[in-house]
Amino acid sequence: MWEHRCKVAVSGVGFSRATRSAETPLAAHAREAVRDAVEDSGLALSDIDGLATYPELPATGHAVVDGITIVSVNCMMAMLKLPNLSWQVQVDTVNIGGAVQQAINALLAGVCRYAVVWRAMHNPRGTYQNLPGTYAHGASQFTAPYGFGGPGQGMAVAYTRWLERHHQNREKMATLAVTQRRHAHMNPHAYFHKVPLTREDYLASRMVAYPFCLYDCDIPVQGAVAIVLTTAERARDLRPRPAYVAGYGQRLAFEVAGRIGSLSDYMEGGRSSSRLTWERSGFTPKEVDVAQIYDGFSASVIYGLESYGFCKEGEALDFIQDGRIELTGELPLNTFGGSLSTGRIHGLWHIIEGALQASGRAGERQVADVNVSFVGASAPVVQGTTFIFVREPY
Amino acid sequence: MSDWSQVTRPIPVPNEWTQPFWDAARQGVLALQRCQACGHFQHPPYPTCATCVATDLRFEPVRGHGAIYAYTIMYHAGDRRFASAIPYASIVVELDDAPGALLAGNLLEAPYTEAKVGRRVEVIFERLNDDITLPQFRLAGDAR
Repeated sequence: MWEHRCKVAVSGVGFSRATRSAETPLAAHAREAVRDAVEDSGLALSDIDGLATYPELPATGHAVVDGITIVSVNCMMAMLKLPNLSWQVQVDTVNIGGAVQQAINALLAGVCRYAVVWRAMHNPRGTYQNLPGTYAHGASQFTAPYGFGGPGQGMAVAYTRWLERHHQNREKMATLAVTQRRHAHMNPHAYFHKVPLTREDYLASRMVAYPFCLYDCDIPVQGAVAIVLTTAERARDLRPRPAYVAGYGQRLAFEVAGRIGSLSDYMEGGRSSSRLTWERSGFTPKEVDVAQIYDGFSASVIYGLESYGFCKEGEALDFIQDGRIELTGELPLNTFGGSLSTGRIHGLWHIIEGALQASGRAGERQVADVNVSFVGASAPVVQGTTFIFVREPY
Repeated sequence: MSDWSQVTRPIPVPNEWTQPFWDAARQGVLALQRCQACGHFQHPPYPTCATCVATDLRFEPVRGHGAIYAYTIMYHAGDRRFASAIPYASIVVELDDAPGALLAGNLLEAPYTEAKVGRRVEVIFERLNDDITLPQFRLAGDAR
């Protein structure tokens, strides 16, 4: 077990308004989310001395403009002018989970006391994913000429492999989309809060990239979320009940860049990340009370459930049936609605919900008697990070 | 059947690792990077062997027969250059000669509904310009 388990905790969480289109600059969303998280902790901005983010714009073929399409650490420093800032980082490899892990490390090292991590996501005008222009460089020279564009298609090919190799039926995925939408009705911050979705809606919806229909894809939004992390001792003195970080892991396997369609890439990524989280925390999948698993595209949940060890390979679409992933089920899953229903703000939303469930602050959607709260904060491939938050330090 | 005649494809730009692949394709030959230490074929090209991390890698011709490893049917006309072909099959092929190396392509000369995991395919070549010829795939009658 990890000697530093439960020495850092998530305290406050914050949200900006999520809108379908970019009506206000992204920097304003990020600032709103950060201020909201600091206020939730009962802190003042002057207490914040650590900043971390993963600023990437996942939409392809759009200009990167700081403050408009991304919000960098530089941008946040300039907006907040924190008088006591003592540490900052901007990560590049493991999505927002990597920024959270860096903040945990900084707190353990004692180089800051109250760190804020935010994720701000821009929804550009026009087509979200674009192929390269006239020429395809780098890894895309082997994919773009054939019409392979964004990550959705990359995940779709792995999904057909999974479906046909395991003789499975994509219609079973309706259960995930519909269950998560019901969860979103209890989350006022969700983009699709109180917008109903039925199994029939799912089955009748248009195909985007087979086997993905519209409701297998998360909804692109403009918005930001943020969290305050601090040491366990300090967290106990703040307003919210702490969610203690019991362990974390990150993906430590990588196949050749541009190798599209490989199912093993997802599985090895998820296994390498979760193995560390299980070892460090000392828990096993059977002991998990509630799970958030990244769902930018629905199939990501399959790869997560299987590679993290919640079920066997080929069984995930059966595993999610029969009420198992509902709030009262054996493994309540994506209890905030997931990205499919809250909107595409990447995995910090999953981390927030994991922390809220562990600290008993999830309101109407709180799962009963939660102690062990698991998070897979991004697709297991390439960027996978995993976390366990607990209510009771040990 | 997808209408590819109106489609303008992004043109691959070879680099130091990939030039031999495109040089061979221009001659109508499929050549993949092979590790001279362990014999493993890999694609896309990389500076080290993905299996044994050796650095002695050379391009060797392979026969263009294999099976569809995975596929997607594209319905969304995100990029207008591909709009006339929609819906179309983008496939990933594992060659008999190079297990583990995965090549992207389109399924040509057949309805997109013919794309299935395990379906036998063979390489054909689609000339884009004087420098670049794309390996592509069509259904093959052969049983392995």
